[in-house]
Amino acid sequence: MKRTTSRRIETVIRVIVLTFYGLLVVLPIYWMVITSFKTNPEIVNTQHITYFPETFTLENYQSLFRMLSYSTYLKNSIIVTLVSAIVIVFLSILGGYGLARFKFKGKGGVLIFFMLTQMIPCILVIIPLYIVFSKMGLINTRIALFIYYVITNCPFCVVTMRSFFERIPYELEEAAYVDGCGRLETLWRVVLPVMFSGIVAVFVFAFIGAWNELIAGTIFLNTPDMWTIPVGLKSLIGKYSVQWGALMAGGVLALLPTAIMFMFVQRYVVEGMTAGAVKG
Amino acid sequence: MSKRANDEKRAMGALSRRRKNMPYYFMLPVLLPLVLLFGYPLIKSCIIAFQNYKLGNPDIYFNDFENFRKLFADRDFFLILKNSLIYVIGSVAGQFFLGLGLALALKKKFPGRGIYQSIVFLPWAFSAFVVGLLFRWSFNGEYGVVNDLLLKLNIVEKGPAWLGTPGLSLLVVTIAMIWIGIPFFGIMILAALQSIPNDVFEAADIDGCGIFRKFFSITVPYIKPTIIITILLRTIWIFNSFDLIIIMTEGGPANYSQTLPSYIYTKAFSAYDFGLAGAFGLMLMLILGMYAVVFLKISNYEEAGDF
Repeated sequence: MKRTTSRRIETVIRVIVLTFYGLLVVLPIYWMVITSFKTNPEIVNTQHITYFPETFTLENYQSLFRMLSYSTYLKNSIIVTLVSAIVIVFLSILGGYGLARFKFKGKGGVLIFFMLTQMIPCILVIIPLYIVFSKMGLINTRIALFIYYVITNCPFCVVTMRSFFERIPYELEEAAYVDGCGRLETLWRVVLPVMFSGIVAVFVFAFIGAWNELIAGTIFLNTPDMWTIPVGLKSLIGKYSVQWGALMAGGVLALLPTAIMFMFVQRYVVEGMTAGAVKG
Repeated sequence: MSKRANDEKRAMGALSRRRKNMPYYFMLPVLLPLVLLFGYPLIKSCIIAFQNYKLGNPDIYFNDFENFRKLFADRDFFLILKNSLIYVIGSVAGQFFLGLGLALALKKKFPGRGIYQSIVFLPWAFSAFVVGLLFRWSFNGEYGVVNDLLLKLNIVEKGPAWLGTPGLSLLVVTIAMIWIGIPFFGIMILAALQSIPNDVFEAADIDGCGIFRKFFSITVPYIKPTIIITILLRTIWIFNSFDLIIIMTEGGPANYSQTLPSYIYTKAFSAYDFGLAGAFGLMLMLILGMYAVVFLKISNYEEAGDF
């Protein structure tokens, strides 16, 4: 009897807590989305702030497309992000496998080095790279951003991938070696297929990291035809007038790709991290 | 020694050499670019920090500790340092406790957990840039929804200009940072929770342990490594991040929400004083390095760097 009441209380508390977190996340997003569908006079009406658009309009989206060449930014963002993420996944597989399966001289040093890279303020990396890139004529190219995204996202992804590899029993590989397969062949045919969720997780980390990056983008790119989405949107923020409707519309569009992607693969990310969490 | 034995020995030697080199074949493609592209900038930054390096300046020379003198002579340096600490500690603490709560609430299965998870973890996928815009808009003094709600609930007489008031602007930036970071802690801690074997809890149930006893004696020790490493990483990331600040306040009003990295950014790319920016950057790195060492010592974490 006592057990069921305490269980009921537990359930009630859990529902309250879950509702709290749900609202915490949903309300700001809701606010952004409905602002993007309001007319401008409604947005800046101090007397009467509406919690649902009185007149539903797409004019913010239209003016966004008028002011910015959004499709160009989208194209730039997709190219840089996708290529970076693919390369990062590839490097993470190599590095993660190397760290998980071998003991070698300097392994501890490698891990400390990865940790150190996280401590370097990004400006200390960006400034010298900026100087070098301008000498090499790489400023205002996608290569500059690509290089920057790969090196900044790699350490975390490699170490994450390593913990995914560690979860896979070595016996699985041994069987393949007995059958005469080489390292790479085994990695490709035996190991990678069973760690799909880990690969997806790392790809998503890398993709999100590059897609959302703003600072290096504003520094390395200087003509609108090369801008990525965050850089393009930033140009909308004037010093004196801020077009909130258009900005919120731009925000919704900028978040949409990663949000959809994340919703689909969220399961794999948690699954993958559960595997990695054993090691910490 | 027969020829055959010799051949065998040579073959073995080649094989073991190959085996010995094997890890480096895997590591080099990753390490080489990283060492080069982090190492060179770092060395260059150290040099620049002691030079009068300005972009386009034709006459660059070493100016001893001039940049560092300028740094400490900066009127706002200690204000900025204080802001950084408040911002980092506030954000990490907020993210950690809220993330822990979320993870605990998600631990047990319930119908619709998958969909629920993909919604509450969403901010992870969001850019600091857009979140910054969103919070800047929500906390707008005139048209903001936050002030409207506070007025309607009769909590305030007149809504403050959040982002234009010293103290409040840093608070709003911190709130935004907490909001983005809850999912990171949530996912990491949830993952750690799910890896605790269930029979440990069953045994505790049989022994008649209460919820709190179970939490502090079983859950916490099990997820401690995850907690340590996530807090360490997150602290470093937040300390180094400044896009949120640039978007929301640009450090204003009058540097009251300026943190070290955002200040460095402003110094570097408005005045193009790379020398001074380098000096500030080294300062920041020094603080982070000391923090990491002390933190790992205090928390008794043996596997330094194993994140």
